[in-house]
Amino acid sequence: MGAAVDLLSDEWPACIVPSGPVPRELANSVRARMGAVPGWLPRVAPCPWLVDTMVTLIGKPVAALPPDLVDRIDLVVSQDNSCRYCYGVQRAVLRIRGYTDADIERLVRDAQTGDGVPAERAAIDFARRLSRADPRPGPAEFERLLASGLERLAAIEVACAAATGNFANRVATLLALPTESLEKFVRHPLFRVIRPLMSWRMRPRLRPREPLPDPNTGFGARVVAALDGSPAAGVLRRTIDAALGSPILPARTKVLVIAVVARALGCREGERDTRTLLAREGFAAADMDQILDTLASPKLDAREARLVPFARETVRYQPATIQLRMRDVCRDLGPAETLEVAGILALANAICRLSVVLDAC
Amino acid sequence: MLTAAVAVLAACIVFFLERRHGRVVGRLEARLEAASRSLEGLQHAFTRFAPATVVDDIIALGVSTRSEKKDVTVLFADLKGFTPLAEQLDPEVLVRVLNGYFERMSAVIRAEQGHVAKFIGDGLLALFGAVSTNPWQARDAVRAALEMRAALVEYNAGLVAEGLPSLALGIGIHRGPVIAGVIGSRELIEYGVIGSTVNLAARVEELTRVHGVDLLVTEPVRTALDGRFRVRAMPAVPVKGVSTPVATFAIERFEDGTA
Repeated sequence: MGAAVDLLSDEWPACIVPSGPVPRELANSVRARMGAVPGWLPRVAPCPWLVDTMVTLIGKPVAALPPDLVDRIDLVVSQDNSCRYCYGVQRAVLRIRGYTDADIERLVRDAQTGDGVPAERAAIDFARRLSRADPRPGPAEFERLLASGLERLAAIEVACAAATGNFANRVATLLALPTESLEKFVRHPLFRVIRPLMSWRMRPRLRPREPLPDPNTGFGARVVAALDGSPAAGVLRRTIDAALGSPILPARTKVLVIAVVARALGCREGERDTRTLLAREGFAAADMDQILDTLASPKLDAREARLVPFARETVRYQPATIQLRMRDVCRDLGPAETLEVAGILALANAICRLSVVLDAC
Repeated sequence: MLTAAVAVLAACIVFFLERRHGRVVGRLEARLEAASRSLEGLQHAFTRFAPATVVDDIIALGVSTRSEKKDVTVLFADLKGFTPLAEQLDPEVLVRVLNGYFERMSAVIRAEQGHVAKFIGDGLLALFGAVSTNPWQARDAVRAALEMRAALVEYNAGLVAEGLPSLALGIGIHRGPVIAGVIGSRELIEYGVIGSTVNLAARVEELTRVHGVDLLVTEPVRTALDGRFRVRAMPAVPVKGVSTPVATFAIERFEDGTA
């Protein structure tokens, strides 16, 4: 939370996961979807669902919210979360779109001072509130967003954009992803020549409206249903199913950390869903009460006993502190497990913020 | 020929003025950018001491009139027997000892999700759940208090090694509703909390002398603690400003060994 202090010059520690070989098939598939292989792929490759989610979100699955507003929300949210990686990448993306450094500074300033077009100002304000979640915005704030002139689906996609920004910020910050070469490239003399081509290749496009994914059951089903019409609904359903179905960490461990994030954010929907899932894993209501009230239980294994109290720290944090804690908590985990820890915590933070759309629907 | 020369001269002047204007605008933009960064820096720093919404209000409006009722856990800590100690010590040494103590206590409180709202002489007031909502605020406050106890033992070892007297701490913790907001005058304002919850935390700290312990909590705090916290019930005693005797609980240790 809080604005970034000259983020681009802030210290950012070494990445917590090593760079490794990328299977050719995966590299080709990512290149086909993004037009290039991002610098993070060799580090994130051991966790396939995380790769797929990051690639999908970079494609901005929106049907009603103007994509340039999604870019601005990404910039403001990453600044608010002090995410050095995302802030740098988003500035580079805006430079490719044709913004000058002065334009970008103006965007940042307008977000701080509340200047700008009313609908955009309302969207950015809502996105910041959702990102900070202190407390999460309620129906009144959502009504104000609608009153500013945004149509309902666009307003819901503001929440999606803020939530996905929070997802990306947490993945990048928890893992301390290194700076992308894209940032350096926009300073290269050749950039001006190539920029129009890059801008055309990366041009943002609204997607067609999509029906709800079928089936839509399990964790987060009501939140997914609230996104009806947006391509984000299908993305969220696939992401949740892939994350919980991934064999890297046990499903119960992942659901436990989601439950803690839900409690920290006051997300009743998330807490209810996780209790249902954990009941099937043998956690009685009293066990869950104990875990969520005290962040400890004899029923937790050693890894869970570390991850459960850590999960709450990922809701609001200072990057340097959380990166040190992440390194400590994941000290004896392999790269794939570490990636999945970061991914699931990021996903939990995104979904439990996004669930505010339930109040609005 | 003359017309051409005048035209060239005029073009040069226009070009020169344009460049100069561009440089001036560039300098102004750079200053604006620096001011913007400075503003961001301040905002970033202040979100550690007040909720982000309050900081936003102050930046946008110059003032925050936002006040709200919140459930907060208040930790009040005081050094026992510090006044006679202060009279014995050289002023420079006294300030160094006190600053070292506050530094250590503040670090511990911050690490447990709390924030120091105020230093009052040799006492301090810390809040949990005031700046950000925190469902584990009472547990965090007690863990912070146990860490403060441990940090003081370590600090005292250093003081004794220097030939200085050791410090003794009393801590009272209470949880309840407060009014939180920006309070003060034009000259001095702060984000703070007011209400009987704060007063009772201070009274509970005073009870540490009555019961001969260093860390006491009230019933609303005790109910939020799990079995790993070793707690001993103290007899209820009358407290100024409260109609019925106040029951308190001494926290002895945390089962993981923090004591």
